[in-house]
Amino acid sequence: MSQLLTITDLCVSAEDKPLLHGVSLGMEKGSTHVLMGHNGAGKSTLGLAIMGSPEYTVTDGKILFDGADITNESAYERAKRGIFLSFQNPVEIPGITLSEFLRNSLEQISGKHMKLWDFKKKLKAAMELVDMDSSYAQRDLNVGFSGGEKKKAEILQLLILEPKLAILDETDSGLDVDAVKTVSKGINEYKNRTGGTLLIITHNTKILESLTVDKTHILSGGKIVCDGPAELVDDVIKNGFDKYTDKE
Amino acid sequence: MGEKTYVADIDRSRYDFRFDEDESSFLGSGLTEEIVREISQEKGDPEWMRDLRLHSLDIYNKIKMVNWGPSIDELDVDRIITYIRQKSRMNTDWNDVPEDIKKTFENLGIPQAERESLAGVGAQYDSELVYHNVRKEVAQSGVVYTDLESAMHDERYAEMIRSHFMKLVPPTDHKFAALHGAVWSGGSFVYVPKGVRLEIPLQSYFRLNAKGAGQFEHTLIILEEDSYLHFIEGCSAPKYYEAGLHAGCVELYVGKNATLRYSTIENWSKNMYNLNTKRALVSQGGKIEWVSGSFGSHVSYLYPMSILNGEGARAEFTGITFAGEGQNLDTGAKMVHNAPNTSSYMNTKSISKSGGISTFRSAVVVKPEAHGSKSSVSCESLMLDSISRSDTVPAMDIRTKFADIGHEAKIGRISDESVFYLMSRGMSEQEAKAMIVRGFADNVSKELPLEYAMEMNNLIGLEMHGSIG
Amino acid sequence: MSMIKLNKLPVPTFSWLGVNDTQREADASDIKTVTLDEEKSESEVLQSTAFEITARSGEIKRAVMFIDPTDKASIRTTVKAENSSAVTLVQVFEGKAQTMAKLDAKLSDDARFELIQIFLEPGDALSDINTTLGGRKSVFTANIGYLLGGSDKLDINLLADHLGRKTNSQIAAKGVMNGSSEKIFKGTIDFAKGCCGAVGAENEDVLLMGEKVKNKTVPLILCAEEDVQGSHGASIGRVDEQHIFYMQSRGLPDEKIVQLMAFSKIAQIVDTISDEQIRQRIYNKIGRGNKNE
Repeated sequence: MSQLLTITDLCVSAEDKPLLHGVSLGMEKGSTHVLMGHNGAGKSTLGLAIMGSPEYTVTDGKILFDGADITNESAYERAKRGIFLSFQNPVEIPGITLSEFLRNSLEQISGKHMKLWDFKKKLKAAMELVDMDSSYAQRDLNVGFSGGEKKKAEILQLLILEPKLAILDETDSGLDVDAVKTVSKGINEYKNRTGGTLLIITHNTKILESLTVDKTHILSGGKIVCDGPAELVDDVIKNGFDKYTDKE
Repeated sequence: MGEKTYVADIDRSRYDFRFDEDESSFLGSGLTEEIVREISQEKGDPEWMRDLRLHSLDIYNKIKMVNWGPSIDELDVDRIITYIRQKSRMNTDWNDVPEDIKKTFENLGIPQAERESLAGVGAQYDSELVYHNVRKEVAQSGVVYTDLESAMHDERYAEMIRSHFMKLVPPTDHKFAALHGAVWSGGSFVYVPKGVRLEIPLQSYFRLNAKGAGQFEHTLIILEEDSYLHFIEGCSAPKYYEAGLHAGCVELYVGKNATLRYSTIENWSKNMYNLNTKRALVSQGGKIEWVSGSFGSHVSYLYPMSILNGEGARAEFTGITFAGEGQNLDTGAKMVHNAPNTSSYMNTKSISKSGGISTFRSAVVVKPEAHGSKSSVSCESLMLDSISRSDTVPAMDIRTKFADIGHEAKIGRISDESVFYLMSRGMSEQEAKAMIVRGFADNVSKELPLEYAMEMNNLIGLEMHGSIG
Repeated sequence: MSMIKLNKLPVPTFSWLGVNDTQREADASDIKTVTLDEEKSESEVLQSTAFEITARSGEIKRAVMFIDPTDKASIRTTVKAENSSAVTLVQVFEGKAQTMAKLDAKLSDDARFELIQIFLEPGDALSDINTTLGGRKSVFTANIGYLLGGSDKLDINLLADHLGRKTNSQIAAKGVMNGSSEKIFKGTIDFAKGCCGAVGAENEDVLLMGEKVKNKTVPLILCAEEDVQGSHGASIGRVDEQHIFYMQSRGLPDEKIVQLMAFSKIAQIVDTISDEQIRQRIYNKIGRGNKNE
């Protein structure tokens, strides 16, 4: 299998404060990686930096995606290349409906105009899959959505946009049992249908149950302190991070 | 809730002492060309200053009173004695200051504070600076801290003063700026050379003692490139029945990448009309930080203005206003963005109590050339009863699309929910309310040096008195 | 022609800001008086008109006006909402001719008044809105949307006068400014002594898109009563950076984001209109088609 994402010695800071100190990470096409770490370890920072958030500055290192250096590309260019980030806290955008937003987004990413009817059909199917009432399509994007609905709306977008790489930033946190199931179902559907690549940031195993995890990484103090197999997840959940983070 | 709790009015008794006036030192009341000429002569003004005074008088007689803000109808400017010259001259040793004046300052804790933590003290007793000192090490660094009149006659500074004096606040600005230009007297001159960073604050203390007197001191501060200064201005006046007037003027020039922090705790007695004008001009990369507490006066008009003239210049204004019985305090700030990537930040609190009126008034102006500018205003008002009044009058004038301007304001009373929460953690209702009001004033108190924060706490009288009456 | 002062700010402020009042030539045209008796009405307003709307106890009234005068015009509207009545008034300003609108509303106990004003490239429009929440628990909602371009001028002066107990006002203004358009939005919430339990909130959200726009925002809260909650907020300038990043991350280029955000401002106001046909008429006018498609 060929490499999809290659991060080399990535250093990232926000408002002159260094947050990541030389992170290296490689992901093969179609693989599933799990990223774990304490709160504040830099997990979201890494996800946002891969997506190209303007709040973070890459001070050193680089990010290659599908062989191209994307370190200085805007979020929009990265999205067009097939990177998707499921936000931990998706923003609310009043005045733009979910349907309208997603249709614009799909047309931009695919570069093709889509017939309204075809889009509606696609959207309806995806909404059913993530257990969202069809009325949400006409509601303003994330406005007044509960935490669970916002996360479902992110997975809905994942299913419609079908990116090459999906970074899921704690998509399962704060959800009730049923919602976690629904979100997992959506992720599996994406994986099975597209064979996409997943980087999952999580504190729980529930969301990983029906996925085959290839690798686990532990991030601590802005560095990856441990790379390991799938089993590492269970060990961390049982015994905590300490024995990994103390290695430094 | 059964027991009514009140926040105590500011305890001014500590400030309400005075000594007998020697009537002969009055120069006369009312404002005529003769008086202005006399003041000028008395001061030994250079020619340009005498002309500026006369020009200002001319403007004063021509322009109208402001047509907004609190009423100043009861203020009879002509009756206010515009100039009182103290018999004492400048002193550099505390022991040379006349006994009654010294006592006044001692009561205010000034020399003590100076000894303890202040780099220099300029205390103005009515119109003249009576005491002045800058610590040796400060003076050695090239910092000049002196009274404005001496500086004007010192050939080292004369030209500097001429080129800056009332250039930022021209006499044409408003009626009281014109009045100031005509009769100004006393005040401070501070010059901080390039690269000098004063770690300890300089302070001046203004005080009005004469009955019905006007005080027109002028503060001129010039900071060169990369310098830092914290200047503290404190004001108080004892209680008199005749209305007093304060129409001072503060002009601050902040050089490239320099930072000036200007803190004021104003506590004039409740018959004062405080019509003060303060303005800062900030160069590229420089910063002005205003910290302002308004507690005293009968009527106040006070809106320090920051003119952000150089790229990346910044301004911060943190203020609190406490309007009690008989007070109408109209305070706020003005921010003018004249250059790209400038930023301004305003955070104010006001409290109205026992019939007091407090008004927050502001202006944020972003000129077309100020792209990339940011401004954020936050003002909060607390009403402690329903005989008081609190108004919020902000305005924004934005003329570039490349700007981020945010504004938020809130008004209300102490929330029952907060009181309940604190009570559920074992506090009495009084303690809970006191804590909330203290917390409300925290934005300013945490910006002040400790001794001033404590003085402010004294002023607010944050102890809550249970069931008064 | 004599000049008159309009849109006076209830409490004047620094005169150099030029927001205390607005001067225009007096309008001498004849005013036609129209009483809107029906439960629902829709009017095309082409000349100076004085509308009267009275909702008696328990009545629900709804009036829609498309205002596109052929020449300079004054549009006066008087709304009287008696106990437990409800009035919804939608005014869409579509014309370029100078339009001076004045609205006076008086609300009795439990009355509700919902006002929607939409300005679509209005040329030179003034709107003076004065709502007295006199009755206990009366509610006033104002949603104001504007799309300005070229050298359009818009001057709005809104006053919510809270006299009654537990009265509530919710004021939202959202708009987009293109070209060298000029706009003043003055909104005042006035809590009179005795209006215990009153709540008033005001918000303006302006997207500046033209190089030479002039935007003035003056949100006042006047308060003489302790037991109230008042707030105002304003956000002026560019699109929020977090919004941009989110949309970029979903593949939208900057031009598209700006275009979408501009529509979103006016859409938030248009969507408060319950009548689909009227919404559609406005969306057609601004060339958006059906926003849900």
